[in-house]
Amino acid sequence: MKFLRRTALAALLAAAALPAHAADLTIGRASEQSSIDPQFSRTGNNQMTATMIFGRLADFDENLQMQPGLAESWKNIDPLTWEINLRTGVTFHDGSPFTADDVIFSLERTDEVPNSPAPFTDMVSAIGAMEKLDDHTIRITTNVPAPTLMEDIGRVFIVSKAATDGMTSDDFNSGKAAIGTGPYKFLSWSPNESLKLEGYDGYWGDKPDFKDVEIRFISNDAARVSALLSGAVDLIDAVPPEDIGWFAKTEGMNVVSTASGRVIYLGLSMREDQAPGVTDLEGNPLPENPFRDARVRKAISLMIDRELIVDRILGGSGIPAGQIGAPGLGGHADVLGPDGRDVEKAAELLAEAGYPDGFGITLSSSNNRFPGDADLVQALGQMLARGGLKVNGVEALPYNVYSKAATNGDYGAFVFSLGASTPTTAPLLLSLLHTYDKDAKKGSFNRVRFSDPEFDAALDVAMQEFDPAKRNALLADATVNVFAGEPVVPLYWQKVHWAMKAGLSIKGGLAEATLPQAVEKAE
Amino acid sequence: MFVHNLASPSQVGQGGLTRRWREHVTETEYRARRAMTTFVIRRLMQAVMVLFATSLIVFVAVYAIGDPLEILLPSDASETEKAQVARSLGLDLPLPVQYGRFLWAALHGDFGNSFVYNQPAMTVIFERLPATLELTITALLMSLLIGLPMGLWAGNRPGTMVDESIMTGSILGFSLPNFWQGMMLIMIFAVWLGWLPSTGRGEPGTIFGITTSFASWDGIRHLILPAINLSLGNMAVIIRLTRTGVQETLPLDFVKYARARGLSERRILMVHVMKIILIPIVTVIGIEFGTLVAFAVVTETIFAWPGVGKLIIDSISALDRPVVVAYILVMVTLFIAINLAVDVAYSLLDPRIRSRAT
Repeated sequence: MKFLRRTALAALLAAAALPAHAADLTIGRASEQSSIDPQFSRTGNNQMTATMIFGRLADFDENLQMQPGLAESWKNIDPLTWEINLRTGVTFHDGSPFTADDVIFSLERTDEVPNSPAPFTDMVSAIGAMEKLDDHTIRITTNVPAPTLMEDIGRVFIVSKAATDGMTSDDFNSGKAAIGTGPYKFLSWSPNESLKLEGYDGYWGDKPDFKDVEIRFISNDAARVSALLSGAVDLIDAVPPEDIGWFAKTEGMNVVSTASGRVIYLGLSMREDQAPGVTDLEGNPLPENPFRDARVRKAISLMIDRELIVDRILGGSGIPAGQIGAPGLGGHADVLGPDGRDVEKAAELLAEAGYPDGFGITLSSSNNRFPGDADLVQALGQMLARGGLKVNGVEALPYNVYSKAATNGDYGAFVFSLGASTPTTAPLLLSLLHTYDKDAKKGSFNRVRFSDPEFDAALDVAMQEFDPAKRNALLADATVNVFAGEPVVPLYWQKVHWAMKAGLSIKGGLAEATLPQAVEKAE
Repeated sequence: MFVHNLASPSQVGQGGLTRRWREHVTETEYRARRAMTTFVIRRLMQAVMVLFATSLIVFVAVYAIGDPLEILLPSDASETEKAQVARSLGLDLPLPVQYGRFLWAALHGDFGNSFVYNQPAMTVIFERLPATLELTITALLMSLLIGLPMGLWAGNRPGTMVDESIMTGSILGFSLPNFWQGMMLIMIFAVWLGWLPSTGRGEPGTIFGITTSFASWDGIRHLILPAINLSLGNMAVIIRLTRTGVQETLPLDFVKYARARGLSERRILMVHVMKIILIPIVTVIGIEFGTLVAFAVVTETIFAWPGVGKLIIDSISALDRPVVVAYILVMVTLFIAINLAVDVAYSLLDPRIRSRAT
């Protein structure tokens, strides 16, 4: 009796000591999702929000590396057959159990979401047939050998079949169908304003530090910074680089900075016989396109002082790049460093290529796509002028105008960026540097129309490799070989910053995600 | 009213005149009404033409800016996905076909689905319009309730310290850049003093089933800073307009007569002068209201106010054509309606204009 009373008392005390909610957290986020339906669009903004509410077969950490998620393990029976074991004991937010039916339903729904502006189609295009062996085992047969199947279908968010069947994307926004297995339950979304979430007690993984979470969408940089300063929010993302030094010095504030997977590069168009904006010294068109000569591309790369750009234009918010895939991604070649500035070598290469006195060049860029893009292109213009080229002009345009023109091949030399959303560099290499082939769906962002059959073959071999470690090594080798010819001129990888009240910390990384489950109470 | 005062039948007191007067009034009124009806119908027809032309211009302009697919799709999207999206959004069709489809659907009240949100464009707009209206109406009321008395005060005491300070203040009011002024308000009242919140709408309350900021203390607190920011420029315009009006009206004969009759200065200013200067102010308010709704975007961006201004900027960057076109059509309609209302109100307020219409 005495024991019972003592236990009851202890339990009561423990309950009193623990507050009802771990703590409240308000996040000021720069970007907003366009829908709560996790399969509606696979843009970064939408995936970020979906990761809070929904689970996936694979989990991707802050550096985009893959770990088991709703799939506990998987094995390759033969090149075309996969067997996937699902995690047991997982429940959806409505309490119903997660089973193989939900996975099959979700994968089938993936490319059928009406009017999706950015479908997950490619993620499931390799699937030939799916078979449910039991409630927690699925067998998938692929059309062609697909070594990256788990990376692909692992990215698809799993919805509840019972809650979603027959529902539209609108039903997700109202909350009716927004039933996932993720760490947070969806409460409400007021577009342009805020998203309210509540920690799910039945979540299978580690419970996040904060239970009641509000995410406010504040797109204006200055407004977001002032919201943190006035205490309206506890943490903000996408802190403008120029404010970082100030935040770091301020008492009661904490800054987290990490490299992102987004690379900024200078494209030199090899598309036409005459590159747009490229002239001789008198302003007349050149007889041939100088950018088709790898020595010219290398010379331009050697004229650029990447350290100076990062230091002066970005306030330190960048990491000089010598390739496309950021450090930390599978397939990044550690041996490949950024080019340093070497004007003499550049002059030698230009002379070898037949342009001892240089030639005229026009540089183009967006002016609202990433921090400092308009300043960057002006600095590049000055560096190329000092390197021995005649800069005819520099132009910076809004991204919505610029992107179409760049894709159409209207620019000879242009600054562009490419973000990473996968564990390896393969998709980046495939879309940026593989020979442009509309029918084979390769090289879709190869705006410069670089083409190297040897590289294409090496990439194909790597993509056929089932062993991830070997695949990464092959990707790294192919990268080293192709960058000997400077297919594009990599400039730097962006750094991203979060600022928060002292006592908080966030796990940030290449994924550039601002997730409430990644926010921790710092010691 | 005009005719009645000059030739009231009770003053004349003759049967024949009374009949003639009746016929005369009926005839005048009939003509005035007919003129007004023709005027309204003509304006409505013009409005339809304007809407049609606007839709064509905006549709083609957005098409010319860029390709929505470049913006909607993530950077690793394949050609297959691109083609799939182009097909499902109808972007693979030639421009005239796309416009024809849009026009046909629009005539049936369907302005297309937003590319970004996949909801009807009008739903997306009207979801956010109440927040903007709340902000602009508050700003307009503030600029009236503060601007009018200040203008009267300054106009009544020209050359004094009060006048000088109000006029200098009003120059600041419309020459300070809106975004900078907003940042200063946030710095002072939200960051340093910590008195007022600076982002979003807070927790608006509900009255009669309508969610509005006016219904909760938290909502009102969130409304104060953005409304002040939006109202300052307008307030300056009203102050200057009122001051000039007062200064022009005070030397007029009827004011002297009123003084001679022994009316108090207060009554002369608040009743007789006010009646005269209110007419141009009403016109300006009408136009300013439309401008405030359409251009609240700077204030909305700085204060993260979830209104239509932010929506349209985001939609233009994302080339979300259905939303851009629908938004501009809504705004054009609003301007046409306000102008029409102002013209009608104007002619009702001022008898001289009414008689000119006949």
